[in-house]
Amino acid sequence: MQEYNKITITKEEIVPLAEKMRAEGVTLAMIHAFKEDDGTANVSYEYQTAKGVDSYTVTGENVLPSISGIYDLAAEWPEREIMELMDITFEGVDTSERLFLPESMLSEQGQILITSMDDLIEKKKGDKE
Amino acid sequence: MSYIVPIGPYHPALEEPVHARLYVEGEVIKEAKVFIGYNHRGIEKLATQKNIIQTLVMVERVCGICSHSHAWTYAMAVEGCAGIEVPKRGEYIRVIVGELERLHSHYLWLGIALHLIGHDSLFMHTWDDREAIMDILEEISGNRVNYGMITIGGARRDISDETRRNTLAMLDKIEESILRIRDMLLTDKTVALRTQGVGVLTTEDAIRIGANGPHARASNVPIDVRKDSPYSCYEDFEFEKAVFPTCDVFSRVVIRVLESVESIKIVRQALENLPAGKINNDGAVPKLPKVPVAEYMVRYEAPRGQLTYKVVTDGKVGNKRVSIHVPTFRNAPTIPTMLRENSVADAGLIIASIDPCFSCMDR
Repeated sequence: MQEYNKITITKEEIVPLAEKMRAEGVTLAMIHAFKEDDGTANVSYEYQTAKGVDSYTVTGENVLPSISGIYDLAAEWPEREIMELMDITFEGVDTSERLFLPESMLSEQGQILITSMDDLIEKKKGDKE
Repeated sequence: MSYIVPIGPYHPALEEPVHARLYVEGEVIKEAKVFIGYNHRGIEKLATQKNIIQTLVMVERVCGICSHSHAWTYAMAVEGCAGIEVPKRGEYIRVIVGELERLHSHYLWLGIALHLIGHDSLFMHTWDDREAIMDILEEISGNRVNYGMITIGGARRDISDETRRNTLAMLDKIEESILRIRDMLLTDKTVALRTQGVGVLTTEDAIRIGANGPHARASNVPIDVRKDSPYSCYEDFEFEKAVFPTCDVFSRVVIRVLESVESIKIVRQALENLPAGKINNDGAVPKLPKVPVAEYMVRYEAPRGQLTYKVVTDGKVGNKRVSIHVPTFRNAPTIPTMLRENSVADAGLIIASIDPCFSCMDR
């Protein structure tokens, strides 16, 4: 079984960590995010290791610096996707066009993962009418 | 003169919807942009409403070609959260079906690529062999896709001795054939003219953008999760990490043939050394596992590249978050780089050369 190590970091450590990892040739496997029931944001930077994944997690921050200048599109696409799925922002990422969800999604806000299922069903009914 | 040429979301060269915008001067592509999400089905959202067994069935429907990969990777993530051990025979059965899935996926793409190249006789020959693989998958699981072979903690169905013998006989047949296909591809003038030097992705660009799987290996990047961070029982098998250095569409065609030869080796070893014992921890009827509040991420080498699942459990019977990222999500960003300075006529072939699964990516 692969290893999964969770390491807590602060918002200020995100960019220096990414620069260090890139310099060492470490692959960014993915950036993941989810929200706790009370709305607390969890954003994880998953770096590949020989045994699995080291997950560097920032908690409680809704605005984060982008690492797309360091990891290029390997970071930009996950960052844009997270911004469209939930209300977490990565500073410096071009959001002039949607990457993932349609422009009309929930009155042009998207963010399906933080919208309740009841609201999504209501919205769908409205679209059909 | 400059033009903007839209390709897709619906296009004859694409099996699934994606939109590319080409900025061209005459016949030459100068820049390109890719837009995704045309087949978003809200599967990650639905997963937060379902229990673990229901989610296992649902994620197998994320993709029609690599369905086993999704179910297996989700199962490994839940097993990681709960600390569940899988019996050795169950692991071997998972590997056998996983590698047969890789074989039929590679043969599928080879056929499509050969059709796009204009070599229809080899396309039909490849798909004839693919049918033999699909027949064996049907014999093992009862289905041609969505095999339902995975349960939390093992495999759902055993492989009988008769099926084991039939599978080994099928492997002998397709191994002889794939070596002949390999020789034809390496020497055929039509294939060379349509693919060599087309859609180049240099090793540096592949690493910079984060390409993975066969797409990266065709750009001479030696990465393969089965070797680099082994999961399940891959350490038990001898196989090579296939890499090809020419970084073009030709390289992407050849790499899938080389990988098919390696997959045949793995399936044969797994069948010949299939351990005795139980295949899962539950018996015939899967039970909802007890999973604490936890999170776990798994990297899996799917046919098209690295598939990742991150699962956050709620401590009851469900998921707080299931995050799915398929290889195409990492390989599609390389499309603009590959298209630059190529002709518009090759755009369809170049986009298809990443072996995209856009529905899978949109999930």
